[in-house]
Amino acid sequence: MDPDAVAKAFVEHYYTTFDSNRAGLANLYQESSMLTFEGQNTQGCQSIVAKLTSLPFQQCQHAITTVDCQPSGPAGGMIVFVSGNLQLTGEQHALKFSQMFHLMPTPQGSFYVLNDIFRLNYA
Amino acid sequence: MDPNAVAKAFVEHYYSTFDTNRGGLANLYQDGSMLTFEGQPFQGAQNIAAKLASLPFQQCQHTITTVDCQPSGPTGGMVVFVSGNLQLAGEQHALKFSQMFHLMPTPQGSFYVQNDIFRLNYA
Repeated sequence: MDPDAVAKAFVEHYYTTFDSNRAGLANLYQESSMLTFEGQNTQGCQSIVAKLTSLPFQQCQHAITTVDCQPSGPAGGMIVFVSGNLQLTGEQHALKFSQMFHLMPTPQGSFYVLNDIFRLNYA
Repeated sequence: MDPNAVAKAFVEHYYSTFDTNRGGLANLYQDGSMLTFEGQPFQGAQNIAAKLASLPFQQCQHTITTVDCQPSGPTGGMVVFVSGNLQLAGEQHALKFSQMFHLMPTPQGSFYVQNDIFRLNYA
């Protein structure tokens, strides 16, 4: 399993889901998952999805600029570090963001998000 | 042990050391440590310290804007997500950066950097 390929596939899946079916992100988190969104902490799949679906915009499009990844230790996890642009419908300029995911393997051979930290990058 | 306090202390120590005694950073990495610096991967304390010491500037100052942290799983690790400014001596404008650390506990009760990813945030 090539970590770079896994990271790339995850990132594509995550942001496509976010942009087209935000509630579908629920499948990527578990009870122990943590999200820190612009400094605000949320824990658990339900709360995380509630936070993401309550963000103050209906439509958005993520465009990814960089994806870096590293294996995170003996548990088989992987750190993925993303930067990109977030275009909100109706806004003239895209927002820039950085986001970090710590993915952990599932018994079925896939990954879930254990840690998720999102920050906008202000000019 | 308060994760936020640990993260804050680590961040202060890391960037002070970077800015005043860059060679001293070697103590924070081990043989299994990984650094991805602007997309370039390095492994092991020696290679990482060599990369950081060879960066094309002598003097710099990091100013930290945000620090987010979360526990990273059953091994007692912690992910720390930092954004800030990097002022190089002689340059008119500071560079903006984001950096992610995955810290793991040492038997002595301190932490080392298992994973380190650094990216500049271009306007």
